[in-house]
Formats: sequence, C-alpha cells, structure tokens
Amino acid sequence: MTRLENKTAVVTGGRQGIGRAIVDAFVREGAKVLTCGRGSRPGDLPSDVIWQQTDVAKKSDIEDLLSMARAKLGAISILVNNAGVQIEKTVLDTTDEDWDILMGANAKGLFMACRTFIPNMSLGGSIINIGSISGNTADPGLALYNASKAFVHGLTKSIAVDHGPAIRCNAICPGWIMTGMADAAFEMANNPDAAKLDAVARHPAGRFGQPSDIAAMAVWLASDEATFATGQLFTIDGGMTAASPLNPGLF
Amino acid sequence: MGILEGKTAFVTGGTGGIGSAICRRFIKEGADVVAADLSENGTATRFIKYDVTSEDVAKGTFEELAKGWNKLDILVNAAGIEIEKTIEETSLEEWNQSFAVNVTGTFLTSKYALPLLRKSAGASIINFGSYDGFIADPGLAVYCATKGAVHALTKAMACDHGPEGIRVNAICPGYVDTPMLQSFFTGEGSGGDGKSLNDLQQAVRDVHPMRTYGTPDDIANLVNWLASDEARYASGQLWVIDGGLSAQVQQMKL
Repeated sequence: MTRLENKTAVVTGGRQGIGRAIVDAFVREGAKVLTCGRGSRPGDLPSDVIWQQTDVAKKSDIEDLLSMARAKLGAISILVNNAGVQIEKTVLDTTDEDWDILMGANAKGLFMACRTFIPNMSLGGSIINIGSISGNTADPGLALYNASKAFVHGLTKSIAVDHGPAIRCNAICPGWIMTGMADAAFEMANNPDAAKLDAVARHPAGRFGQPSDIAAMAVWLASDEATFATGQLFTIDGGMTAASPLNPGLF
Repeated sequence: MGILEGKTAFVTGGTGGIGSAICRRFIKEGADVVAADLSENGTATRFIKYDVTSEDVAKGTFEELAKGWNKLDILVNAAGIEIEKTIEETSLEEWNQSFAVNVTGTFLTSKYALPLLRKSAGASIINFGSYDGFIADPGLAVYCATKGAVHALTKAMACDHGPEGIRVNAICPGYVDTPMLQSFFTGEGSGGDGKSLNDLQQAVRDVHPMRTYGTPDDIANLVNWLASDEARYASGQLWVIDGGLSAQVQQMKL
C-alpha cells in the first residue's frame, strides 16, 4: 500500500520528532522526500532521503532549498512546514531576540516557505502546516509559541482561500506529543512527575501522542484521498481538548 | 489488503447518499459490513431493516448481532433527516422527529452497540455532525440544532468511553451531492428560488475555495480513515470536510 506513489515532498525540520516521523511515513508510502534542518545530515536518515542544511528563518536558505528541490524532485506535490522552535516564557520575560528567533522560524519562516514554494508546486499540491492546539487555547508560559501557532492557523486558511483550487492547505494541530519540546514544558512544572501523571489523566486516550500519530494524519492529508479537504485545522490530541479542564476526577 | 481487514462495521442510514458510499468503501477495505436503514435500496452488503428512533429495535438488533459477531469495531451513525424550515414554520411534531432521528438515533444506537464495541481491540464510533453545527444555513433551524447536539454528544461520548478503548469522532460535511442537498435547494431559505441544484451548480461551486462541492466518496474517504487503526489517537473531534467552505468569512456580493 503506497498512497504517495509518484509524489514529491519537502518536509522542513526533519531531523527528529514529528518532522522525522513524517519523513519516514512519506518514504514508506512511496514519496520522494527532501528534508532539512539547521545542522548537518543525521546519520540515521535513510539514504534515499535528500538532506539540505537550512535555517527556515533565512530567506536565502529557503531559496537554496527550493533550488535543491527543483533539481532533485522536479515539481513539488507536498510541502510540510514542520520546522519550529519553542521558548518557554511569558510576554514579560520575552526579549526582542527571543521574538526574532521564534517568530523568525515559526511565522516568517513558514510564510517565506509558502511564498517560495507555491509557484513551484504541481496542480493539486498539498501544503501541510504544523499548528498546535496551543494556537486555539493557550498553554501557560508559552506566550510567543501560542501566538505563532495562531498565526499558522490563520495563514493556513488564507492560503486555502487564495490558492484553491490549485493547492490545498491544511494544518495539523497536535496535542501533547512526546518529543523534546514536551519534555521541556514539563520541566517547568514544580513537580514534573506529578504534572505528567495529571496530564495523562486528562487524555481520554490514556496516553500522550507519538510522532507517528501525527505522521498518519499528514499522510492522509498529502494523499489523493483528501482532495476535498482544505482550509482546515485538524486536531490530533487523544481527545484532550474535548474534555473540560474542570475534570472532577482530578480534584 | 484493505485497511479494515478483520473489522466489523454497522452503518445506520446505510442505504442513503453518504451511508451507501461508506458501506461500499468499508467493503472494499475488507470489513464485514451491515447496512441498517428503513428500506433496502440495492445495497452491496448485508441489510438490516432498522429504525434509529426505536429503542426496542436498537436493543433487539444488537442482541441479534451479538449471536453472529463477537465484537463490533466500527459504528457509523449516518442516519439523518433535514427539514427546510425556520423555527416559526416548524411544527412541534417536525422538531421532535428531527431530534428523534438525528440525536436520539445516535444515542440509542451507540448505547446498545456499546457491549459489542467494548469487545473490540480498537473501536471507533463515527457520528454525523455538520458544518451547520458551527455556522448556520438559513431555513434549516432544527437541522442546525440537531447537529450542534451531535457535536456535543460526540465529545461527551469520547470522554466517557475513551478509557474503554472506544474512540468517538464526528464528521462535519459541507455541501455534498446527495438527495438531501437537492432537497435543501428546494427550500425557501436556501435562496435557490425554486431552482434545482443543477441550475445552481456553478454558483454553489464558486463559493467553495476548491470550486466544487463534495461527493459521498469524499466523505467516505475520511470516515474510512477514522474507522481505521491509523486514527488510533484521534478522538473527541469534529472533522469538518467541506472543500474549504467554512474557512472563509461571508463572501459578500458588493
């Protein structure tokens, strides 16, 4: 079963976590994949995946990424904007430098990637942005991160409206996915272990998510099964945001 | 090999526009499917005469099913009706009938399916909400209200039965080419002025970012994914699929 046969994909932030899970799933489904990150090529990346060292916050890096994609992939059918950074601060603690780092990658970088790649995508192309449940309702102490994800949600709808029917654009809003970013958030709690237990109890699924849970949705959105799906935010969070925060079982 | 191989599925409204497309897709993916509906309509699968508004029918049907099936993996609550009226025009009888089919039907079928669903290694209930449960179409008052109720019920069921390994989601379609949509355009509130969907096709298409409205197969694609084990972490959600329609603000003709 290869649902992305004959498709080409560019995935930003493919070194680890959700991005890497998407790269692996796309390869499994038959797509030709180019991925990138700020460092050098990860040693365990499958040999048929193309790697380009890229800082999505730099315009020239995005342009180089496009050149590489055109040379190696031809027309691009799938763009996944996954690269992102998280800074655990409130507005008061956030410096101008923090703003440049975080918004540079999560907002400006994603915008520049869309602007650069849309004219080079094949008809019926699919853009998948990684938003967050934090873009709809705020996680404490993640002010700019939350705001940057709301930006992603808004831009996702704009691109769907402006560039349909040629291109579809959707966002996936992951909940608590066990990556380095989630661990960093727990480290901010007074008692990280207790915080983790409490957080699990708020998931009807009884567990946190895995990067592969998000990759499964990305495959579907990238595939031709999703040709009527556009302009939407798809939440995958084990049911967490379906539950009221006033969960009596937790008192 | 299909992605629903070895799974059993019960689909209410299974001979309707969207329901029959779901049944066809489930069969193609290898599931053992029962189409439950008021009347048989040339289904490709096992048909059970089923009235979603009757508690006796729901109770009896699942007692009978339990003799042949040792588990139920997928329940799709697709039975629904639509009345093209404002609240002023809607009679109490019509109001009650809409809630009986769209809301009580989802409640009763899910309630009596639970014992068999609990025996599945990964059960999935898929309810039918609508984008109308978020933003209203004119002249569809009770329909919008029933779909909002289904949305809330979906989240409630996901919270209650998630710990039992049962996922619950709702699909919220936009405009899909079915007999129900044809009927909507004959209603006064649609602005269709008595014209059929055929006459209005281009105008309806133009309001969608994808410049088309959906087909039952488009909906079946998403139902199929939510029914499958790939969606094992997806629960408690309302999945809008509408060609981008509700991503826009009102498209004013200035």
